[in-house]
Amino acid sequence: MMHEPKIIGFLCNWCSYRGADSAGMARLKYPPNIKIIRVPCSGRISPELVLRTFREGADAVMVLGCHIGDCHYSTGNHRTAKRMPVLKKLLEYTGIESERLYINWVSAAEGEKFATVIKDFTEKISALPPFVETMK
Amino acid sequence: MSDRLTSLHEAIEKVLPDLDGVLALKSGPGGIVSPYLFSKEHPEELAKLAIWPKEPVPDTLKIILRAHPDAKLAIVCRGCEERGIVEMFKHAQLGLDNLTLIGLQCEKDEAEFCRCAKPFTVHAKTIVGQPIEGVADPLTEQVSALSQPEKLAFWKQEFEHCIKCYGCRNICPQCFCNICALEDEKWVETGRLPMAKPSMYHLVRAMHMTAKCVACRECEETCPADIPMAVHFRLIARDVKEMFNYETGADMEQKPPQLLVLEEGEYDRTGLPH
Amino acid sequence: MNVGEVSAWAAENLKDQGVVVARDYKFMCSSLGQELIQKDIKEQGLTRVVVAACSPHLHEATFRNACSRAGVNPYLFEMTNIREQDSWVTTDKEEATKKAKALVAAAVGRVAYQKPLESLLVPIDPNVLVVGGGIAGIQASLEIANSGQHVYLVEREPSIGGHMAQFDKTFPTLDCSACILTPKMFDVGNHKNITMLTWSEVEKVEGYIGNFTVTIRKRARDIDEELCTGCGVCWEKCPKKVLDNVFEAGMGNRKAVYVPFPQAVPKYPVIDRENCTYYLKGTCKACEKFCPTGAIKFNQEDQILTVKVGNIILATGYDLFDSHRITQYGYGRLANVFTSLEFERMSNSAGPTGGKIVQRDGKTAPKVVGIVHCTGSRDKNYHEYCSAICCMQSLKFAHLVKEKTGAEVYEFYIDMRTPAKTYEEFYHRLLEEGTHFVRGKVAEISDAVRLPGEEGKLIIQVEDTLTGNQLRVPVDMAILSAGLESRHDAKIVARKFGISCSADSWFIERHPKLDPVATMTDGVFVAGACQGPKDIPNSVAQGAAAAARVLSIIGQGEIEIEAATAIVDEVTCVGCKQCIASCPYQAIQYLEDKGKAYVQEALCKGCGTCVGTCLPKSISLKHFTDEQIVAEMIGAMKVMKSFELMEVA
Repeated sequence: MMHEPKIIGFLCNWCSYRGADSAGMARLKYPPNIKIIRVPCSGRISPELVLRTFREGADAVMVLGCHIGDCHYSTGNHRTAKRMPVLKKLLEYTGIESERLYINWVSAAEGEKFATVIKDFTEKISALPPFVETMK
Repeated sequence: MSDRLTSLHEAIEKVLPDLDGVLALKSGPGGIVSPYLFSKEHPEELAKLAIWPKEPVPDTLKIILRAHPDAKLAIVCRGCEERGIVEMFKHAQLGLDNLTLIGLQCEKDEAEFCRCAKPFTVHAKTIVGQPIEGVADPLTEQVSALSQPEKLAFWKQEFEHCIKCYGCRNICPQCFCNICALEDEKWVETGRLPMAKPSMYHLVRAMHMTAKCVACRECEETCPADIPMAVHFRLIARDVKEMFNYETGADMEQKPPQLLVLEEGEYDRTGLPH
Repeated sequence: MNVGEVSAWAAENLKDQGVVVARDYKFMCSSLGQELIQKDIKEQGLTRVVVAACSPHLHEATFRNACSRAGVNPYLFEMTNIREQDSWVTTDKEEATKKAKALVAAAVGRVAYQKPLESLLVPIDPNVLVVGGGIAGIQASLEIANSGQHVYLVEREPSIGGHMAQFDKTFPTLDCSACILTPKMFDVGNHKNITMLTWSEVEKVEGYIGNFTVTIRKRARDIDEELCTGCGVCWEKCPKKVLDNVFEAGMGNRKAVYVPFPQAVPKYPVIDRENCTYYLKGTCKACEKFCPTGAIKFNQEDQILTVKVGNIILATGYDLFDSHRITQYGYGRLANVFTSLEFERMSNSAGPTGGKIVQRDGKTAPKVVGIVHCTGSRDKNYHEYCSAICCMQSLKFAHLVKEKTGAEVYEFYIDMRTPAKTYEEFYHRLLEEGTHFVRGKVAEISDAVRLPGEEGKLIIQVEDTLTGNQLRVPVDMAILSAGLESRHDAKIVARKFGISCSADSWFIERHPKLDPVATMTDGVFVAGACQGPKDIPNSVAQGAAAAARVLSIIGQGEIEIEAATAIVDEVTCVGCKQCIASCPYQAIQYLEDKGKAYVQEALCKGCGTCVGTCLPKSISLKHFTDEQIVAEMIGAMKVMKSFELMEVA
C-alpha cells in the first residue's frame, strides 16, 4: 500500500542545502514530502537527532552533505561517513528497514541530482509501511 | 583452592609489599563476592581472595583513582576488564603509569557463560592461568539470522520488558560520563512504561557503545528483565572492525574510528553511495 | 502556493507557539518590507522574527540587519525557505501550501529556542603571506607592499617568475615576456616591504583570519646568502651538466649548482644535491674552490621559519598537461613532436637554441609545421574543460614560426576561442599572414608512410569538419598546444590552507561571479591559474584583486568572526577528549588542570562535528543546539502529522 511518507532531511548549509536551492532555481519538480532542516555540516548530525526524528514519527530521515573531499569544514563529513553507516546497521539489527535512513552527498551545483535523489527516495519510502505502523 | 586461585594469591603477594594496594575480588559475609582493595597492612585478608562470579573491578578502580590519583595500585583484571581499563585510559579517565595489570585468564566455562570472543588479556605483564581461545556466541548468531520482521518482533518484545532501571548503564565500565544522554528528555522520554517504540533508551545506548563496548556482558548480567542487549553491541563491534579495522581495547594508541577522517579504502567498506 | 493562507494559518494555529503577528507581503526584502518588520518589532514588542521567503543564502543577512536595527539581536531571527525549496519545486499548489505551513511551524518552533549571540572581534595582523611567485603572486605582493604592508612571498622554485619567465613572447601584443616581467621581479626582490622566501614551502598553517601562524621550510641552498654576490663563477666552474626539466622543459642543460635563468631573483644559486658530484661521490667541491667570497656552504640545513600573518593569498599556478598521456600524438616517441612549453623555450632567444626554430636534431629548420590545439583539453578522456589560453598561444606560435622560418603553418582547432580585447584582431592578423586553419580534432600523429610525399614526415591525421574530408597533412614539426591542469599537489595544498578544490582540483572561489578571489575560508584568497585556467592579464587582475580584498580587511583593523561556535559545559564535561580528536580544525584544547575540554572560539568554524561526537552532550554548537534542531523537527512533524490525521478523517 502506498502512502504519503513524512521525511525529514538534514542538509548541510554549504553544499546540499545550496544543491536544493539549485534544484529550485532550475524549477525542477520533486515530491513535497521532504522537510529540510539546515545544519552547518552533516557532521553536526548526531545519531540521537536521527533516532529522535524517527521517534517523532518520521518515515525516513535523509542526511545529505558535501562530497567527500569537498566539505566546507574540510573533513566534517568524514565523521558523517563513519557514524551514519553504523546507525544504519543498528536499525537493521533492530529489525527497522535500514533504508529509512539515507545518506548521500550533493554539491551546490547538483540541483538535478538533488531532485532525482528526492524523487527516487520518496517513491521508495512510500512503498514501505508507515513507520509508526510498524512500531505498533 | 583451585590452581588459578593459588597462582593469583602468589602473584598478588609478590607485588603487594611495593604497592599502596591491589584491587581484586574478595569473598565477604554470606559468600558475596565484591571488589576489594587488598593492602600490605593486612596480607592475611588475601585468604578471602575470590575469582568468581566476576564483578566490574575497573569501575571501582576509577572511583579510587579519582580520590587518590597518585596511588600505586595493581588490579586483577580479566580480558574484558583489561579492555575496559584500556578504553578508560584512551578516554583520559585514568592513567596507567602507576598501575600494574595482573591478567586473570578465563576458563572455558566462564568464557561460555559470557559468550566471550576474547577471554584473555593482551597487555598485562603478569599472567595468571592459561589463555584459552574465544568461544562461540550462539545467541548473537541466532538473533542476527532472524528475518527483518522477526528481528523487529524479537526486539519489540525484549524492550517491552525494560523497566528503565538504568542498571545496565550504571554497571557499564564505559559509562563514565558526568551526565547521561539517557537522562535527557530530548532523547529518552520520561514517565512512560513500557517505553515508546522504537526504544530510544536502547538505541541511543547502543550507538554510544560503538567502538566502546568491551564485551564484558555486565549489562546483561545485571538486567532484571534479561534483555540480551550485548547482542547489538557485539554486532556493531563486528561492523566497526570490518569497516574501520578497529577493535575496542586492543590498542593503547588507536583512537575510536568515528572521530577521525576516512583512511584509504574505508569509504568503500561503509556501503555509502559513490 | 497560497501565501495568504499560510500567513493566516500561522496567525491562528501557531498562536500558542508565541506568534503575535503573521503577515503576507510580496517584497519583504525591499526597504518597505524591512520597515514593516521593524515597525512590528517596535509596536508589538516582538522578541523573535521568522521570515518565510527565499533561500537564506540570499537574504538572511538582509533580515538579520533589519532586526538588528530594530533592536532585536540578529540571532533571534530565523528564515525558512518556501521559494527555492517549496513553491518552485512543487507541482501541486495545495501541497506546496501545506509544505510551507510545515516549514513555517518548524521555524517558529526553532526560533523560540534561539539565543542572542554577539560576534567576536579579533584584530587583524597586517602582514600578508603570498604563496607562489608567478605573475599573479608578484602582482599581489607588489600591490600590498606598495601600500605599506609587509608581505612574505613564498616560492617553491629557486627563483620567482613562474611560467611567465619561461615564455618567449606574450599574446596578442607580442611583447617579450622577460622584458615586461623582469622589472617586476626586480621590484619584488628589492622591496623593503617584501620578505622573499624562495626554494621554500609552507609546511603548516594554523589559526584563522587576522591571526594565522605559518610554518615555512626554507630549504638549504648550500649557499650563504650574506656572502654570495651572484657572480656566477660557481656554475661556470661546476663540471656537472644536468638536463633541465623544469625551466628549460628538458630542451637544455644547467649545472648542478645553478640559477634557473640569468635574470633570476634572487640572484643566489642553489646546489642540486641529487646531481652534485660532491653529494654523490664525496669529492669535487669545484664551486667551493673557485667561489671568490667563500659563499658555498655544503651540508647546510633546512631552516624552519614561523611567521604571523593576517591574510593569505594563494597564487600557486598550474601544471602543464603531460602530452605523453595522449599516446596517439606520439610525444616522446616521435622526435619532432614538441610541447608548447618546449616551443616557448626554443623560440626564446635566451633559450637552448638561441631562439632558432629547429627540429629535434638541433639544426634543420622545418618547412611545414602543424599546431595541434586542445591537447588534453575539451576531451572527455583527459580534461573536459577549455584551457582558455591555448588558442591564443597557438596563434602566437604560428606567427613566430612564420616570422622566424617562413614555414607553412597549419593550425588544427576544434573551435577558435579569442574572447578578449584585441584577441580576435590577432586571429585576423594570422588569417592574413596565410596560416592554414583546419577545423577538426586531430586523431593521430604518426610517421607511418602511406602516400608519396610522406617519407620522413610526421603525418597529422584529421577530419576537416568544414569540408567533411579526411586529411593527412605531412609536417616536419608538430607542436602540441597542451592544456593547463591543476598542480599535482593542489589537493594537499588546499587541505593545508583549509580551502576546497573542484573535481578538477582547481581551488574553489567563494562565488563564481561575485566573489572570484575569496574562498570559503575567511582570510584565504586565490589568484591566478590555481583557481582555473587563465592568461596573464587575468592572472594579474586577480593578483591585484586579491591584494585589494586583503588591504580592505587590513584597513578595518579588526574583524568579526563567526558567532555560532561550539561551547563546552565545564560542569558536565567528563574530559574524555573525543571532541578534540573529531575537530577538523584543532580548535578544541584539553585543559590539563581541570581535565576538561575547551573551545578556542576564534579557531572554531562552527561545523558542530564535535557535538555529533560528544556522548553526554556537554558540548553544544551555538545557534544549532539540539534543542533548536529538535524543536524545528518537531514543528515540521506536528504539522505533517496533523494533515495526515485530517486526511484519514
